[in-house]
Amino acid sequence: MTKKEFVKLFQNRLILLDGGMGTLLQKAGMPGGVCPEKWAAINSELLKDTQRKYIEAGSDIIYAFTFGANPIKLSEYGIADETYAINKTLAEIAREAAGKDALVAGDISSCGSLLYPFGSVMFEETVEGFKKQVKGLLDGGVDLFAVETMMDLQEARAALIAIKESCDLPVMVTMTFEGQRTLMGNDPLSVLVTLQSLGADAVGCNCSSGPAEMVDIIRKMKPYAKVPLIAKPNAGKPRLENGATVYDMDAESFAAYTEELIEAGVNALGGCCGTTPEYIRRVGEIAKGMKPVQVERKLYSLACSNRKTVEIYGYLPFAVIGERLNPTGKKFLKEALLKDDMDVVSDLAREQVEAGAMLLDVNAGVPGIDEKETLKSMVNEVCNSVPVPILIDTSNPEALEAALRIYPGRAVVNSISGESEKLEALLPITKKYGAMFVLLPVDDKGVPETAEGRIEIVKRVYSRAKEMGFSKEDILVDGLVMTIASNPYGALETLKVISWCKKTFKINTIIGLSNVSFGLPAREGINSAFLAMAVANGLTSAILNPNDQQMMQCVKASDALMSRDKSGLSYIEYYSGKSLGQDKTSENKIKPQDTSLKSLYDAIINGDVDAAEDTARQALISGKMPKEIIDKEMIPAIQKVGDLYEQKQYFLPQLIRGAEAMEKAMAVIAPELEKNNEERFESKGTIVIATVKGDVHDIGKNILGMLLRNYGFKVIDLGKDVESRRIIDAAKANNADIIALSALMTTTMNQMPLVMADMKRENLNCHLMVGGAVVDRSFAESFGAYYSNDAYKAIKLADEIIKQKNNGG
Amino acid sequence: MNDVKVVRSIKPVYNKNLILSRLGYNKYRTTLSAEVMREIERLVKKTENIMNITAAYRILGITQINPPQIILEDGTILSGLRLSELLKNSRQALIMGATGGAKVTELIARLQEEGKMSEAVVIDAAASEITDSALDFVMAMVDQYLRPKGKLLTKMRFSPGYGDFDILQQKEFYRLLNAQNLGIMINEACLLIPEKSVFAIAGICQERG
Repeated sequence: MTKKEFVKLFQNRLILLDGGMGTLLQKAGMPGGVCPEKWAAINSELLKDTQRKYIEAGSDIIYAFTFGANPIKLSEYGIADETYAINKTLAEIAREAAGKDALVAGDISSCGSLLYPFGSVMFEETVEGFKKQVKGLLDGGVDLFAVETMMDLQEARAALIAIKESCDLPVMVTMTFEGQRTLMGNDPLSVLVTLQSLGADAVGCNCSSGPAEMVDIIRKMKPYAKVPLIAKPNAGKPRLENGATVYDMDAESFAAYTEELIEAGVNALGGCCGTTPEYIRRVGEIAKGMKPVQVERKLYSLACSNRKTVEIYGYLPFAVIGERLNPTGKKFLKEALLKDDMDVVSDLAREQVEAGAMLLDVNAGVPGIDEKETLKSMVNEVCNSVPVPILIDTSNPEALEAALRIYPGRAVVNSISGESEKLEALLPITKKYGAMFVLLPVDDKGVPETAEGRIEIVKRVYSRAKEMGFSKEDILVDGLVMTIASNPYGALETLKVISWCKKTFKINTIIGLSNVSFGLPAREGINSAFLAMAVANGLTSAILNPNDQQMMQCVKASDALMSRDKSGLSYIEYYSGKSLGQDKTSENKIKPQDTSLKSLYDAIINGDVDAAEDTARQALISGKMPKEIIDKEMIPAIQKVGDLYEQKQYFLPQLIRGAEAMEKAMAVIAPELEKNNEERFESKGTIVIATVKGDVHDIGKNILGMLLRNYGFKVIDLGKDVESRRIIDAAKANNADIIALSALMTTTMNQMPLVMADMKRENLNCHLMVGGAVVDRSFAESFGAYYSNDAYKAIKLADEIIKQKNNGG
Repeated sequence: MNDVKVVRSIKPVYNKNLILSRLGYNKYRTTLSAEVMREIERLVKKTENIMNITAAYRILGITQINPPQIILEDGTILSGLRLSELLKNSRQALIMGATGGAKVTELIARLQEEGKMSEAVVIDAAASEITDSALDFVMAMVDQYLRPKGKLLTKMRFSPGYGDFDILQQKEFYRLLNAQNLGIMINEACLLIPEKSVFAIAGICQERG
């Protein structure tokens, strides 16, 4: 079957696929523990009979029973060397079953081992494995291919590449989603964008839990789909009932989703686990006479990683592309790349994304370096560190192909110019891997000075790209920024190119911004002014430094002014609570509620550490006595925080934040108290705290220590993994009222009674209070200790214990 | 499939509500402003970024279940009444472990030293939840591989230290998973280091033909 015939098959009609096979073959006698594909190849009549039933039920396409017949999976049964033979035989059986009544798809699924970087199987090894399967299926006479039940977009790519490098048959690719992402985190849009641009002829989802979940996935894909969409759901969720798998949907309830799936945009329907020919028959009956919906496709430029798609278009928010993963002019990055130190790469990637970069430019151009290997390492590192798509910045065809081959999304090639040799070398590679590209308006004669000259090159390169199957949304035209220090009209010519792209040629644009100010002082001003002008002329993206606050302010403001950021919401959110020049990421602000503080009391209740410090200082300046500030504002405030926590209106971070604010204010007040020879507040008592011997988990103990201090206790914190002897000595030396111990494990909590025994032996006039994840009241009471399951309750308990003690208890 | 399989760089899907629950959030009573939620989300994201989650699993046949004892095909004996109940219909066991790496523990310690306890507590809760989600990830992945073979995983899993499934049995998991290869250490008290590390077991049921 040719790709054209495949397109024709889907025109204006719904295609019916087949349903589950494994369960049917088990019912037909396939025993547990055998290799299903090998068993089916031997019991060919049973397999053929089952496949015939699907055709009789209306399936237009049946899948050869080769789901797990790849060498890695077959090796689990010690028959990897039979890969070709098993696939060929199973394809022939399906071919015989189908006759002229249906098409046969060669079925390829996951190899059962995770690909690098998740697992140890390398990409090329997977491609080669799939190729062995493909060869058997081709020789067995399949009409097309179905790659299905993939959890990892990278493995789906490997299968698709293996097929594309073996034949020209159409390929349908479906992935299995858990909710709205695959297990490896791939979202529906990135799956669609990656696979359709890589050359899949139909894309969709199969298996998962049921048809209801697939409606949303199809709906998300539809407005961007250039290819038909497939849904092949399970019959709901499986469960074991008396040793047999039972699915919660019967044929009727399964088929009830047919209309909804068609309305969502599906072009081909079938079933997966738990479905039978009856399910397919019912779907066919409901779908009869219905046609696939036609949705106007969004003509956005779409780049994606395996976890996120970025849409670039005139009225969408401006696309910021981080420039910092380029070693030019960065000695530290050059040195890191030469040493293959990829930590620097991941840090730079994270830093830029946190600062607002939507895509990242990745360049490995260091003299003397193996660009191909370094670029591959950088691409892998960036993919692992951040979810945003990348621009692969190289004109080295070998390095480009190596990077595109392993990139598990849709990258942008930066860049392809009109230089004839480069054009002919880079365009086919870009097309093969379905990437977008930056069109650089330069040709063999060099850089045209005028916009007209550049426009001519844009038209010429686009025409060549179009011949190869590219369309305008696959391209970002580089406006080509020249420095105004050497050419005063350079910026104006760039703006003319951008304007022409927007108004006349209707194509998205990009610039490498900072070159405009090269050689000039105060470059930031020139850069941001030029960026604003370019955005007003229709610029859609730029490569810039997202850590440059002025530049990002310009981007956000331009989006708001050009109505690309509807109602300025993104602008407001970006600057919410942030003054210019302030590092947004370093702020600590678990401020429970209102931030418009009026008093120290409010500052503590709101957990506003900075305001607590300021208002404490203001209170002193206004002439209030330190003791009065503590008694009338701080103590009531921290008690209020405790009350709110007890009522569960506050949760733990807010309780702690209140204590942090209290601590900060106390740091301002305490020196004044000392001047007046006053106590901070009358200490409620002395408590020695520790995590028991052998236990290194101390965050719970540290929280308790902090709260105790701020609720008026004197705390002696001995740290973690503390011997009983040290605890007893500290309690004696400090005349402690309470020893408070924490333990997280059953193996360490037994230290608690030992401490109690030592306390009795030493006759300490002191109580023991215990807590921690595994400790409970009955355990505590078994050796005479007090128990609390919560840090705040522990404070109240400590209060009570000391009151009783003072009353002679 | 007796070998230990290692899965690296996992980005598990986790439930943010469970992180809030770990922090004492009550959906009927606790009111969080948008700003607090944004800050929590920032810290959770920071946790996610700094964690380098590695998991390992292996499948072992179950030779005998004689409650509370469970004997695995390699002779390993596990003990627990509730565990025996969980595995009663299983012919095989999925032994699994995950670690979030040392960096996140170091970050939590550093924040405490800097007096940023509220940040530390959020990151601590997020790291625990994300590490636990890595085991959900392993189970979902193995389930996907098992389904075509007519096998199903039990919905629940048990970790040593819960109920009567003694924490000392962490040592068996450590050995079965070659957990030192994941960068995990175990001390005399059977504590796993890095702290955000977890082991668990689930059952695999074979569908009747």
